[in-house]
Amino acid sequence: MDATAAADKGEAALKLLEYADPSHFLSPSADLVTAARAASQHIYSSLVPLSPAQPPSTLLTDPAFDAEQIWSQIELLARPLLPHLRRQLRRLEQQPPSQPQATLPLPVEKPADSEEEEEEDGQGSELDELKELEETDDEEELSDDEEDEEEEEEELDQRAHKGLEDQFLKIGEMAEFLDKGDEEEYGGGANRGEEKKATKNWMAESDDEGDEDRDEEGDEDLEDFEDDDEDGEGEDGGGIMYKDFFEKSHNRPAKKRDGSTKKVQFKEDTHTMELDGSENDDGNVEEEQGLSTHEKEQLKARAKIEQMEKAALESSAWTMQGEVTASSRPINSALEVDLDFEHNVRPAPVITEEVTASLEDMIKKRIAEGHFDDVEKPSLLPSKAPKEHKELDESKSKKGLAELYEDDYAQKAGIAPAPLAISDELKQQANTLFKRICLKLDALSHFHFAPKPVIEDMSVQANVPALAMEEIAPVAVSDAAMLAPEEVFEGKGDVKEEGELTQAERKRRRANKKRRYAASHKERPAKLQKD
Amino acid sequence: MIRRNQRLRREYLYSKSLEGADRAQFEKKRRIRQALEEGKPIPTELRNEEHELRRQIDLEDQERQANDLFLFCCVWRLGDAVPTNIVDNEYATATIREPKIMLTTSRNPSSPLIQFVKWLPVNLNIMFFAPYCCSFLCQVISEIVEACRSHDITDLILVHEHRGKPDGLIVSHLPHGPTAYFGLLNVVTRHDIKDRKTMGKMSEAYPHLILDNFSTKIGERTATILKHLFPVPKPDSKRIITFANRDDYISFRHHVYEKPGGPKSIDLKEVGPRFELRLYQIKLGTVELSEAKSEFVLRPYINTAKKQRTLGA
Repeated sequence: MDATAAADKGEAALKLLEYADPSHFLSPSADLVTAARAASQHIYSSLVPLSPAQPPSTLLTDPAFDAEQIWSQIELLARPLLPHLRRQLRRLEQQPPSQPQATLPLPVEKPADSEEEEEEDGQGSELDELKELEETDDEEELSDDEEDEEEEEEELDQRAHKGLEDQFLKIGEMAEFLDKGDEEEYGGGANRGEEKKATKNWMAESDDEGDEDRDEEGDEDLEDFEDDDEDGEGEDGGGIMYKDFFEKSHNRPAKKRDGSTKKVQFKEDTHTMELDGSENDDGNVEEEQGLSTHEKEQLKARAKIEQMEKAALESSAWTMQGEVTASSRPINSALEVDLDFEHNVRPAPVITEEVTASLEDMIKKRIAEGHFDDVEKPSLLPSKAPKEHKELDESKSKKGLAELYEDDYAQKAGIAPAPLAISDELKQQANTLFKRICLKLDALSHFHFAPKPVIEDMSVQANVPALAMEEIAPVAVSDAAMLAPEEVFEGKGDVKEEGELTQAERKRRRANKKRRYAASHKERPAKLQKD
Repeated sequence: MIRRNQRLRREYLYSKSLEGADRAQFEKKRRIRQALEEGKPIPTELRNEEHELRRQIDLEDQERQANDLFLFCCVWRLGDAVPTNIVDNEYATATIREPKIMLTTSRNPSSPLIQFVKWLPVNLNIMFFAPYCCSFLCQVISEIVEACRSHDITDLILVHEHRGKPDGLIVSHLPHGPTAYFGLLNVVTRHDIKDRKTMGKMSEAYPHLILDNFSTKIGERTATILKHLFPVPKPDSKRIITFANRDDYISFRHHVYEKPGGPKSIDLKEVGPRFELRLYQIKLGTVELSEAKSEFVLRPYINTAKKQRTLGA
């Protein structure tokens, strides 16, 4: 009785949550919390016996436990359970549609248009339930429904295939294997026949994705449901027949909750609608998921290429445009850009203390050496001959005027040599020097004899006998310079010495002498007398 | 007068053009002489001309060498026969005459610029210091140059400015001579130095010159241009003007020195403005000629601009 009481409590809690106003959930309220915990506990305990693994039998929902902890407990239960249930479901689908199983509430089964409201209600309740339990129990509810459905399908299968199966052949397993083969070949079953394809697509999809994707898929499914509800209502679903779907479904037991079958139906609906060519995001998503990785990468690359092409066609920013004047870029934009370029010019030298000190050192060194680069005075070489300055002698001339005239005449006649001027003297000296040199050179260089030139010179002649001179001087010396015999003795004819004279000749000489003396003495006494 | 000037200018340019060939000849003779002295074989490129050149070498006399020595820097050895009409032909008579300089500025000078120009130590022989505001001065550069030539001025110096800071200097040697264009940087005027009173009056003696690190051909050319702005100093002058070349920037310094403790200790006192000169052009003509031939132009935007040292290592 404890169990039933607990079950009733759980049911009551569920009912409470179901009928609560959605706005109440926005703010935390204690009774909703307790109701949620109780409900989850009830569901948990109802699922525990069905799980293949052995999870703990009760869900601990003390107020101390927070959502994470409760959720992890539920997951402990759900994880091994879900694949099991999915397999069962698939098997149930494989069953021939003649099997009477579920008794779904008709409004849901009928096409969307007529039963919109009811469906909506149903959906709404279902949605509410879903939203309520999203925190704690998304998967569990789904799995719950799936599990129920699969249970029924299993029963159906077992009934149908009892004749065929034995210990080796299991129709269910064969069906699975075949499904997998189909997926590999056709890439997700987009080309197959409507119903089976649709369902199989869904099943395959749910099976293909790994455990990690379970949650995602669950969410996706839920999203799909939300979208689908609207879509399902709006469209007619051309080509779908009642018997395609509901021959299978009306085998299910009536106790099935509305939400589950609805869910299944809507999923199938949407799939068929996709196949008819309606554009559906979900369908596209599913199609994409059916593509291979290479195709996915290709799609991504293509998208990127398009983006880059678009960017390339547009005009680029001003910084990339080459030579840009101020008018073609926004105001002050050059200040914001970090411009950097190499300077080829050496910067001006900064005059620091060290530079000045080094300069001054150099200057001091130069001063100490006395080494300056001044402009130097040129050494003057005579470009003209020095002017001849005529010196005026101011002393009274010793010569009388008549004598001066006499000298002039003599010069003109060529009797007396011209008086030497100062420059003439120099010239004369130069001339004599030159003649002497030339004479010496000629004597050295020429073979034939040239006599010494006559240099008229007033000079004292030494009356040295020629013999002495000739001994020293070379052959070239002539004795023309010596005194001539007339210069030695001037006289006539018979020249006798004292010893050679006769008496008469002696007397004669004495007489001549007296006469000469007397002649000269006549003048003298006249002079003496005057004095 | 105009024709005469044109003829003189053409003569000048013609002689300049000849000097290239002359210098080449001189170089060849020098190499042959060197080879003969060292006893090495004569370089193979000169084999054809060797006979003729040797004959000329033998006939060259010592007097010619001694005569021209003073015209050139100490780089030439005494034994070489130096060609007379090389680049510094314009400055041949400058050593005999004293330089006469005209200092002027650009149009409408500001007062700091006038102050700067006033204290440039080139005003030793300044006959005319005319900062362009004087009414007697002509407005056009060609007229200025004509006026200077007729007054027998040897050099014309123009100073340019930018917002009070002097930034350009143009030195033009007048009878058709070369023009050097400088940019001025890091100018520190006498005005900026606070304790002006301690500096006292600027000495007016003829200064000694120091020209440091002008080792290339263009460097020597610049050195002669700057050198001939100053007259021949007395040997005991205490005033020093320095042009030091560091990395193609010529530092100008003006000092007065004393030797208080005997010949070894030297006390330098800085006087006058201080600036850096940067040569950017030498033209073979006066300032007013716009189409004058360029001897040297600065190229700062070529790829090897950083490595270039045009004025001296």
